[in-house]
Amino acid sequence: MSAAAALLQLAGVALAPLLPGSIQTGKARLQGRRGPSVLQPYRTLWRLWHKSAVAPEGAGVMYRLAPSLLAACLLAALAIVPVAGRTGNLGLGNDALVLVGVLALARFVLAAASWDTANGFALMASARELMISVFGEALLVLALLLAALPANSTNLLAMSAAAAGGHIWSGPTHWCGAIAFLLVILVETGRQPIDNPDTHLELTMIHEGPLLEYAGRDLAFLQWAGAARHWVILVLGAELYLPHWGSFALNVGLLAAGVALLCGALAVVETEQAKMRILRVPALLGVGCAIALAGAGMWVGGVGV
Amino acid sequence: MAVLGAVGIGVLVGGEVLGASFHSAIVPAFGLDPLSGFFLAVLAVTAVPTLVFARDYLPASPGARTVGALTGAFLLSLVGVLVARDVTTFLAFWELMTLVPAAAILVARRDQAVRSAVYAYLAITHLGGAGVWIALITLAHHGAMGDPSALAAAGTGAQTLVAIAALIGFGTKAGFIPLHAWLPRAHPVAPAHLSALMSGMMIKVALYGLIRVEFQWLGATPRWLGLALLALGLLSCLGGVLWALVQHDLKRLLAYHSIENVGIIALGLGASLLFAAAGNSTWAAIAFAAALLHVANHAIFKALLFLGAGALERAVESLDLDHLGGLLRRMPWTGGAFLVGSMAIAGLPPLNGFASEWLVLQSLLHVAFYRPLGVALLGGLALAGLAMTAALALLCFVKVVGLVLLGSPRRVECERAVDPPTGMRAGMAVLAVLCVVLGLVPGLVVPTLAGLAPGVHGPALARHAGLVLPGTGSYLPLPLALALAALTLGLVGLRGKRRAAPAPSWACGQPVVSALNWTSAGFTKPLRLVLEVVLRPSREVEVARGSGMVQSVTYEGHVPSLLDASVYEPTVRAGLRAASVARRLQSGNVRTYAAYLLGLVIGLLVLVYAGVLG
Repeated sequence: MSAAAALLQLAGVALAPLLPGSIQTGKARLQGRRGPSVLQPYRTLWRLWHKSAVAPEGAGVMYRLAPSLLAACLLAALAIVPVAGRTGNLGLGNDALVLVGVLALARFVLAAASWDTANGFALMASARELMISVFGEALLVLALLLAALPANSTNLLAMSAAAAGGHIWSGPTHWCGAIAFLLVILVETGRQPIDNPDTHLELTMIHEGPLLEYAGRDLAFLQWAGAARHWVILVLGAELYLPHWGSFALNVGLLAAGVALLCGALAVVETEQAKMRILRVPALLGVGCAIALAGAGMWVGGVGV
Repeated sequence: MAVLGAVGIGVLVGGEVLGASFHSAIVPAFGLDPLSGFFLAVLAVTAVPTLVFARDYLPASPGARTVGALTGAFLLSLVGVLVARDVTTFLAFWELMTLVPAAAILVARRDQAVRSAVYAYLAITHLGGAGVWIALITLAHHGAMGDPSALAAAGTGAQTLVAIAALIGFGTKAGFIPLHAWLPRAHPVAPAHLSALMSGMMIKVALYGLIRVEFQWLGATPRWLGLALLALGLLSCLGGVLWALVQHDLKRLLAYHSIENVGIIALGLGASLLFAAAGNSTWAAIAFAAALLHVANHAIFKALLFLGAGALERAVESLDLDHLGGLLRRMPWTGGAFLVGSMAIAGLPPLNGFASEWLVLQSLLHVAFYRPLGVALLGGLALAGLAMTAALALLCFVKVVGLVLLGSPRRVECERAVDPPTGMRAGMAVLAVLCVVLGLVPGLVVPTLAGLAPGVHGPALARHAGLVLPGTGSYLPLPLALALAALTLGLVGLRGKRRAAPAPSWACGQPVVSALNWTSAGFTKPLRLVLEVVLRPSREVEVARGSGMVQSVTYEGHVPSLLDASVYEPTVRAGLRAASVARRLQSGNVRTYAAYLLGLVIGLLVLVYAGVLG
């Protein structure tokens, strides 16, 4: 069983680009366009892999190492997040806060690389992303706290197991956590209304900005890492906050349905919502934090348990 | 120093007590127990590389011999505080520990700004330090040094007095906000090795005193003390990192980060007290160990960063963040060590800063698990606050690493910079290796530290290389680090050695000139805008026009220290006003003074007659 779980965790490496692809396709359909195929991210990766590269003058070792290091961080994150309530004992630990740390390391690497290129647009985008992450990180740990409360542990397996079944949905805490985690998904995947992944205007970029100076295989690594970030956060969200129960096989099916549902939801949000003013994002995330704290208070206070 | 450290480690691991134990009589006595042993070990581990660094650093600085001798005296006074076993010795070394670095700073630098900084340092630490005297003398009066039951017998009034006085006294020296104002003034002006020792160890010795009094000698620890430490810690860590972000001077920025890290330690200590009050002895011990581990980690990486800053200052003669750049390539030893220290202080896995921050985060998360509701909510709030602090520290040190080490050099001096002599390199390299090693095997240290918590007997936790605690998942830094390294190497290999054509970086087709360089202020602009309410930044832009064209634009931005303006300035003004009122009593006339004396004697006689003085 754990071998199957390990295979599923590793399948994330190959399946991750499907998620942004399906969101783009879904969004196009909702907007009445035919849009690109679900497989478009794979084609882009293939194209980039065979292209030659251009590197900015004066950039050093941080610029060159960043794509590989970032992709390695995301690979480690894939090995930490459980799939369908199981992990394959890949030996990198299974604690929720360790995952937060690994994602922070990924953020550091990319921001340091943009300093190395000294590209103004990359730095502007990094500054914005790190500003948002200040509030996003608070929201993320609070959302994880709400999932840890029923399990009495920050072990991701125990948290996933505690969120199984229908009983958990009778109290308000789980609902508060689900709302908070939806906001976390928007922040971490860089989707509207926080960030616009389709923008081609450098001045409005957040997640795309630090990628500006990269090309070829390096850019392929970075784009895969972006897709893997979708996978990590969406699978985590489905494991902690979407309904699951029963056998392993049933759980795999439910997980696939849950992730597809979340992708659909992101497509709908992107169609309905314009990007918001960046200075208003902290207020939105602050509301999320307040909801999460209220949820924690209701659990400890014994409301609806 | 190394010998003392070895003794400290021996006592820590062996768990026995060397020399005298604590007593309240006025007889000088020295001794060691595991808690002192731990702090002594940390002191040795930071001081030895610092001294190695100083051996090559000092000869080129003014007053080298005097500063060297004073450094030795400073270390001796730190050791003295740690091994003192009675109140007079403790207080004597405590005052020496405050005064000696002040003297050393004045010898090394003589300008007016430094003098006023040293004056502020002495004034604030002495005013606050009165709390230490009150707490310790009250304790000795009740015979409660080393005997918790004595103060409990003296009643809650005495307990509360001691608790508050110690919190203020040791808290001032540790740099809790709002008692911190001396710290960002005094630490940056000292020579590099003294800054490293002050930030690395002196404020830790203050925490040692705090732990002694509040955890060991208070008898029963009240819950409000835990809440107060949690609140102070939250204020210190968020405030410290926020004002660190808006500094332009590297050493001043590092000094503000000391406040942040002391705040993180206070969060761990507060959580430990709350667990103890709730009867959860396992987590009380874990939170205590988290705080102690952060004491050790912060001592190491902060010493490393201050030494690095000293080496950079020597090489490029400036510590203004906007005047450095490109130094990783030109000074690989200094730059590499500084990069490791920056990543450690930013709390990134698998380095040591993450291990202790993970432990403190877990402690706060578990505070939020248990009733009463108010405590749980404060735990949740502190958890969110610490997560924000970690993200802010990351932002701050990405900025520092980017401006100092990466990109292209911003001045001619940076282009010519070379690594310092062997001694300075060795000092920094040892500390950087320690950051990595402690990060990889925190699980070997934590059970020992948990055993130091009050009320814990015998080993409470199993010993692994990684960290697996009751109620957490597993953090396995060694496999994680190996996996990250292997995967990165694998991906680099997969990418292959493809040549990339060089091109100027994209600036919308403009030539890339130095005016387009990003500054420290530019990188923190989004955050300054969002937190305008707290930071109150001021900016002045002057545009000079001539013949219809903009000739020049001057910009000046400034973020005031909110507490300096709202708390300290009114206090200083009121103090000066009171002093000018008091000065009227001094006429310089001998007969008036005789009249004062006569009045005093008559007053005392009246009081004695009335029986007020007993």
